[in-house]
Amino acid sequence: MIKVSVNGEIKELKENLNIKEMIEALDYKQKGFAVAVNTCFISIKSYETTIIKDGDTIDILAPVQGG
Amino acid sequence: MQNTINDKTWEIGGKTLSSRLLIGSALYPSPANMEDAIKQSQAQIVTVALRRQSAGENAGGNFWNIIKDLNIHVLPNTAGCHSAKEAITTAHMAREVFDTNWIKLEVIGDQYNLQPDPFETLKAAEILIKEGFEVFPYTTDDLVVAKRLADVGCKIIMPWGSMIGSGKGLSNPDNLLAIRKQFPELQLIVDAGIGKPSHATQAMELGYDGILLNSAIALALDPVQMAEAFRYAIEAGRLGYEAGVMQERQFASPSTPTIGTPFWHQFD
Repeated sequence: MIKVSVNGEIKELKENLNIKEMIEALDYKQKGFAVAVNTCFISIKSYETTIIKDGDTIDILAPVQGG
Repeated sequence: MQNTINDKTWEIGGKTLSSRLLIGSALYPSPANMEDAIKQSQAQIVTVALRRQSAGENAGGNFWNIIKDLNIHVLPNTAGCHSAKEAITTAHMAREVFDTNWIKLEVIGDQYNLQPDPFETLKAAEILIKEGFEVFPYTTDDLVVAKRLADVGCKIIMPWGSMIGSGKGLSNPDNLLAIRKQFPELQLIVDAGIGKPSHATQAMELGYDGILLNSAIALALDPVQMAEAFRYAIEAGRLGYEAGVMQERQFASPSTPTIGTPFWHQFD
């Protein structure tokens, strides 16, 4: 198992998960969000080729009200 | 568009619009009130943001569905970013989520007055423009910063009227006017600090192309009616600017003809 930070919370995940698998493991069922790993944007087309590593910081952002 | 006093269109970011109001989507008493206020404003651009969302939550999805149903242009912001790197990452994420190359670039340099950081804003703007973004940079009313932003390719510049959310209006109208005079070819939007409709009118009378505001409508006692007030105020300011404001004089000058003045005033 590895430990990562997801939106500021520490989560334990299996090793060698890619972003697509991580999203499924975290039970994100809704659509319309974007992902950054260690403050770098990961596009949808790179989800399956980006492997999550121990200690990574992941941000999953969705639309909200803004000024 | 209904109930509009000015039927002229203008262009910004490759889009032809009739409304010169860019409206924020935050701080309304309820999502329904936000929707009604945006409709009443007749704005054709609405600002939105990105924030962390947990698994299972779908508040973002509900909000986004309301915005999509309005069928107007979406301008995502980079609010909360404190560096060019953060802003660029946020812009990339926004482009994917909102499917637009428009980005309202905000890089905050001071947490107390939310003043933009000109150095990081400039750095981010240059990179994002090279990447194909249409950058709407939030900046101060500093002429040199505006010049630098134009130099790196910004076609739109958004100087503040005053501090974000302050409602103080235009702190330095002379500075705003100097930017307008210096850059007649740029689209200039006053962003932040507008508190009441007359502030927006004043900015439009300076020749600004539009107004971006949020708190002044969302925090009004009746946001929907205030949205309507701002719609008319912005149109009035633009009409006044196009009509050509009279020159100020240093002396009084009567508007009623002096010829034919009754005899009891003839020797005053």
